[in-house]
Amino acid sequence: MRKFCMYGKGGIGKSTIVSNIAAALAENGDTIMVMGCDPKSDMTRNLIGKRIPTVLDVFRSKGPDTMEAEDVVFKGFGGVYCIEAGGPEPGVGCAGRGVITAVDMIDRLGVFNDIEPDTVIYDVLGDVVCGGFAMPLRQGLAEDVYIVTTCDPMAIYAANNICKGIQRFANRSAVTLGGIIYNGRSVVDEPSIIDGFAERLGTKVMGRVPMSLLVPRAELRRKTVIEYAPDSEIADTFRALATAICENKDRVMPEPLSDDELDGINEKIEVLLKEREETGSNPVGDV
Amino acid sequence: MDGGKFFGAFRASSGITDVVVLNHVPVGCNWGAAIFKTTSNQFDMRHACTVMHEREIVFGGEDALREALIRADDLYDTPLLLVIAGDAPLIIGDDVEAVVNSVTLDAEVVWMEAAGFKGSMMDGYEEALLRMAGLMKESETIEDSVNLIGFSPDDFKVDADVKEIKRLLRDAGIEVNSVISKCSLEEFRRAPAAELNVVLGQGTLLAEQMKKEFGLPYLKMDYPYGLDGTSHFVGAISDDLGIGHEPEFDIEPFKRVYLYLHELYGTPVSVIGDFHAEAMANFLDGELGFNVEVLSGNEDDYFEFEEDVRNSNTTILFGSSFEQNIAETLNIPLIRFCYPVFDNVCVYDDAPYAGYRGAVCLTEAIINTVMSYGGMK
Repeated sequence: MRKFCMYGKGGIGKSTIVSNIAAALAENGDTIMVMGCDPKSDMTRNLIGKRIPTVLDVFRSKGPDTMEAEDVVFKGFGGVYCIEAGGPEPGVGCAGRGVITAVDMIDRLGVFNDIEPDTVIYDVLGDVVCGGFAMPLRQGLAEDVYIVTTCDPMAIYAANNICKGIQRFANRSAVTLGGIIYNGRSVVDEPSIIDGFAERLGTKVMGRVPMSLLVPRAELRRKTVIEYAPDSEIADTFRALATAICENKDRVMPEPLSDDELDGINEKIEVLLKEREETGSNPVGDV
Repeated sequence: MDGGKFFGAFRASSGITDVVVLNHVPVGCNWGAAIFKTTSNQFDMRHACTVMHEREIVFGGEDALREALIRADDLYDTPLLLVIAGDAPLIIGDDVEAVVNSVTLDAEVVWMEAAGFKGSMMDGYEEALLRMAGLMKESETIEDSVNLIGFSPDDFKVDADVKEIKRLLRDAGIEVNSVISKCSLEEFRRAPAAELNVVLGQGTLLAEQMKKEFGLPYLKMDYPYGLDGTSHFVGAISDDLGIGHEPEFDIEPFKRVYLYLHELYGTPVSVIGDFHAEAMANFLDGELGFNVEVLSGNEDDYFEFEEDVRNSNTTILFGSSFEQNIAETLNIPLIRFCYPVFDNVCVYDDAPYAGYRGAVCLTEAIINTVMSYGGMK
């Protein structure tokens, strides 16, 4: 069973990438399972076409002893098994503990043993704000982590923090960094900056997702681009990314950057932004 | 060793003997607080709990608290519910005040936040009493009366000690108005009627507050162990009230065991506990002539205490049930006098450790413990 998780700053495009990778892998006839670990609970929407009841919704209404796998596991596009961890309402309870509880419930329900998926993908809320969101890094839940980032300072900062989390758990489990996924959807689109960032972490960029209008169009229709525009270039990009991740054997323990090193990257981005203001040109790559 | 703020708040709250304490905590905290309390008073089950489970941690415990308030109000015939929010709800940020304000109950509600990680047991005790101070009402002053502040319902020997202290003060012409926190709600409410607050170790913040609000002065005193300790205690209070009572005590009982006491002179001992410990040490070295080798308070490092005791000549240990292990390891007797005591009971309320009678009982307990201790045969 191939198991990996996707981390990255909130709103960076993790859910889009996970759902499209899952759909792409399912095209090959593999049994795929995705689990959203974000209280927002909308990663699987594009695979199913609607929101599904979350593990924590069912846990809350039925209690831990009477809930069943059928209550929380749903089949979506291409037969992808979809699970959403869910979470409390904003402002109450503990979302971090929620992730731990949901993962624990899935384990107790024996979902992995019953379905025997070829690949499991976890989609985890951006910044690893507390122990709960580091859950997929622990207990051998995933083999490796892929971090999505744009060329924005805050996204790079979050990616670096996630690497710190991976490093922290390195001594306790076998989780490693598989690579960086570059999402070109940002104000400054300069792949060389992310290449440099990845290199300093000791890893590589697994793939680059360019900005494409097909993505929001597909999502407006609650579909992945694999389903909505299977013959498009962007669909092929996701297919290539999915294959690259599944076949990736190059896993490393990241060396997180210091604040000074991060500042160095920020300065480069700032220079690019200034150039853009002065020339009026758009430094964004091919749109 | 310190039980933390939650335990302190629970001990202060459960000392109001005719009201109900509602603990907003997971089951373990509730069990822990209750088990120490019920050892010597097994029918005193006046407390409820929200019993937070995983569901409450993830989604917040506010609904559980609301439901528990309504049910406790329904199940218990109590004028007051004392709600204590412990560690778990405060980590996840439950809005206790909003929940309390959202329900209309027959019982009055006083709530407090007492996360163990936010302070010591004494902090919890002090703050809980402050939260409860609003229950007090201005009352006409009763001449030559005092309140005793600092007790908890699960103190070892509390019933006997309070009875003895009341007796001694009564002999000096002083009435005890309220014992805090070991009294009825009505007794607590009318505390401002006293002429003087006597603070024994803890409860200073409440005394300060009462001084500010009711103009009631206070006196901080050591716990009255031993003949000298008790004489000083009664003398200082009577002086403060302008009574001028000359305390008298009977040394006859001690004469009967004089030879034993003579033999025990210079015995190396160690003492650990809350504020009771220092007063106990004063009795042991000042009156019995023991050598106190190690004296440790709740705020001190416990491991250091253990190490120091090991490296000393200690032959008797004075402490709580927690010291059973170290006493066993060192093969020395343990005399329990301080919270928590959960492996001995106090049923008879005329065998105190405080006051003159307490000095006799303590001396008897020490001699008997030494004489019958198997490990020393």
